[in-house]
Amino acid sequence: MTRIRDRMAERGRDVADWLEERTRLVSFMEKQLYEPTPRRGMWLYTLGSATLFLITIQFLTGILLLFYYVPTTKDAWNSIYYIMHHVYFGQLIRGMHFWGANLLLIVIGLHMIRTFLSGSYKPPREMNWVVGVALIILVSLLAFTGYALRWDQEGFYAWEVGMKIASYTPLIGAWAVSLLLGGDTVGPATLSRLFVFHVWLMPAILAPLIGVHLILLRLHGEFGAAFEYSERLAKLNKRKQYERMEEYFASDEEEEESSRGE
Amino acid sequence: MAEIKRGQAKPAEEEEEEIITEDNVFEHYDEPQGFFPNQVMADLTVSFALLVITIILAYAVPADLVEPMDISTTDYVPRPEWFFFFLDQWLIYFPGAALVAFGDIAMPIIFAIVLFAIPWLDREPAYSPARRPYMVVLGFLVITAIVLNLFLSMVRILNFPGGSPAG
Repeated sequence: MTRIRDRMAERGRDVADWLEERTRLVSFMEKQLYEPTPRRGMWLYTLGSATLFLITIQFLTGILLLFYYVPTTKDAWNSIYYIMHHVYFGQLIRGMHFWGANLLLIVIGLHMIRTFLSGSYKPPREMNWVVGVALIILVSLLAFTGYALRWDQEGFYAWEVGMKIASYTPLIGAWAVSLLLGGDTVGPATLSRLFVFHVWLMPAILAPLIGVHLILLRLHGEFGAAFEYSERLAKLNKRKQYERMEEYFASDEEEEESSRGE
Repeated sequence: MAEIKRGQAKPAEEEEEEIITEDNVFEHYDEPQGFFPNQVMADLTVSFALLVITIILAYAVPADLVEPMDISTTDYVPRPEWFFFFLDQWLIYFPGAALVAFGDIAMPIIFAIVLFAIPWLDREPAYSPARRPYMVVLGFLVITAIVLNLFLSMVRILNFPGGSPAG
């Protein structure tokens, strides 16, 4: 038994060495996995990874939906109906995409509130906050465009109202509406554009931005609330208190000496 | 051959204690832990819980799909998704062509710009919410306004004839 275990461990080491020599993967994983993170408030820091997990679910279920979804005005609604009622696990995949999007908006909002309250945007983490805000805006736009893709009454009228509001934009209103509609009225070109925005353009911007967000996080480290540093803050306050006391006594002595001199 | 020293060993050298200043106080955590395994386990637990919730919801409350788009209908009451309820409510406060542009275009754009600029607007060096009350109160007011408008819009939509999902 012991010999088998030893042989297995040896083989494992061989594989790790082989990988390390060729890819540096082992040292990379070691650096990433053993990076120091705050011990307290551990659950609060799961919101970022939960957001990433939900975005991954959106990507995966979205790809699966694309196997059956047809982005034409004639077939869009029918293809979704078909997914829901005739495709194996169709209801599950579409349901996960739909509810995943709803949960994503809640979780990303909570992640942002946590970041705001803990002051994690302070120097040198400003750019990570900026990228995070861009991501939350993109996720909202993805939710809005996805809503209209099903080409049912709800989605269609939501898009119609959105276009109406966009048309009031000073200077660029008419141009923006024409760009989003693909013409003067809602039609096949509108659905094609919605599809392009939702499936290609926005994910193509979202994915690299997530990468930048993670790189910046690794670069500057996670920052929690001040309670993560309470012992160090207490030491700092104690030192400052001693310094103030020393200054006070020093000034007292100076006063005494000057009064003696008089 | 190495010389063997006899007698009492000299005491181990004490590590120099770090002098904590305002500049380095936030450089290390009190008691840090490696990302693996505790934080990884916490992340996996939350992700697994979210996965279970989405699967249950997918079957228990199937995703919406109402009747196909029909431009000729006149009695359909459109309603936005819940995450745009607060913007929908603002249409009530800012009616008319000029005000719609202000309420639902200018205001969200200003809000987004302010969000982007928060790190440069909050110059308070402290991190604790208790020590930067202005920003925290402002943030709390914004969140309250969004949630309150979301509920006001929801109540209005549900009370509108044909506004509820059932009817």
